[in-house]
Amino acid sequence: MRLPQPEKSTSQPGILVVLIVLSLVLTTLWYREGDHGPVHRLRDGVQAVAAPVGMVGEFVTRPVRGVFSWVADLGVSRSQFVALQQQNEKLRNTVAALEEARLENARLQSLVNFAQAAKLKALGAHVIGRPTQYDRVITVDRGTADGVHEGMPVVGALGPIPQRATEASASGGLIGQTIDVTAHSAKVRLISDQGSGVASMIQSNRGYGIVHGAIDGSLSMDFVSHETTVKAGDVVITSGMGGVYPKGLLVGEVTHVTNLPSSLYQDIVLTPSANLSGSEEVLILVGASSSTETGNGE
Amino acid sequence: MMNRVLPTAAAILAAALLQVGLAPYIAIAGVVPDVLLLVVVTLALVEGPVAGASAGFAAGLIFDLLGSGPVGPMVLVLTVIGYMAGLLHENMFAEGWLLPLTVLAIASLASALAYGLFLDLLGAGGPLVLTFFTKMFPEALYDTALALLVYPWLARFLRQDRPMTTFRRLA
Repeated sequence: MRLPQPEKSTSQPGILVVLIVLSLVLTTLWYREGDHGPVHRLRDGVQAVAAPVGMVGEFVTRPVRGVFSWVADLGVSRSQFVALQQQNEKLRNTVAALEEARLENARLQSLVNFAQAAKLKALGAHVIGRPTQYDRVITVDRGTADGVHEGMPVVGALGPIPQRATEASASGGLIGQTIDVTAHSAKVRLISDQGSGVASMIQSNRGYGIVHGAIDGSLSMDFVSHETTVKAGDVVITSGMGGVYPKGLLVGEVTHVTNLPSSLYQDIVLTPSANLSGSEEVLILVGASSSTETGNGE
Repeated sequence: MMNRVLPTAAAILAAALLQVGLAPYIAIAGVVPDVLLLVVVTLALVEGPVAGASAGFAAGLIFDLLGSGPVGPMVLVLTVIGYMAGLLHENMFAEGWLLPLTVLAIASLASALAYGLFLDLLGAGGPLVLTFFTKMFPEALYDTALALLVYPWLARFLRQDRPMTTFRRLA
């Protein structure tokens, strides 16, 4: 198909040259004149006129753009879905890490409060080793390089049992004492270990005794005479006798008492105050004692 | 002569309004179509090099005045593009759609490149290679796609004295 009859037209390069020169003059003028020159003022005027046009365009096209945006959101759902899934996974990890940090902070805060209330010089430590099936010993990440020695008392956050007011008036429970200290770690014998013995007393009636562990991990209080009235729910604290553990640390709570006339002493079963095997952070009471005794009792 | 000036001026004015009021809102991934270029190339193909250069001068001036860069570079670029596209007017035999679209795609790329180079010479340019792939080439595609819809109608409007028949299939 041909055009009906193209008109004869000349290229007229002279006009092109004139227009090019004009455009170059315009460019030069733009750079040479100041901000208040004629070309700048012309631009200001044109843009002032164009602004309402842009607003009208924005208003008119808004519904259409809304539809397109909605359709576009549907169209890219697959790739965006994968990206959002990955982002969600990262955020969940971040939230979990933050929650973990918050909980750790709360636990450490309670321990610090305890140490401050009891006016004890303490050193925070992370638990890096858990008790084994036969060995009621945990490992912490502090050692002689940090000023830790054998025989230092270790306290941890309270366990789930209901707590009552104590002389220590703080939320820290006795966990055990350090044994086998290396440069950067230390083993802590739990009070529930069968080799452990803690000079203690019943808070309400000041009845003295020794809290022992057993091979099954249970906790009992021995050497409490029949004359001492003990009942379930009584709070047991360290007595301070023997010089290893400072007085007033929470040891546990009486859960069961058997008072047989045939036996010399009452049979008292305790639940430990501290979360013995589940603690993640502990406080080593570095200023509590200089004793190196790690054996049975104090 | 006068009966051609009016449609030409109307087309450029409408293109300016669309460039300001519509083009930014139909951008795809940040690529805004160049309606002014579409009108300039169409005018050039329909009317010839002088009309193309004149339209390019006017459209370039509008582009520069509406933008934030220096005034003048796009005037020069569109003047030359309009003139060169108009030279094809004498060599066009058919009224098909392939040649105009090809010319428009090349003109779009050429104008963007020339404008970028000119700005570089003036010390106001940006990363040319990156811009070529992220802006210039996508814009050329967009302009060409838009021309597929607009060119037949625009060409008919601009040459009412010489009826076109071939574009019936498209327009």
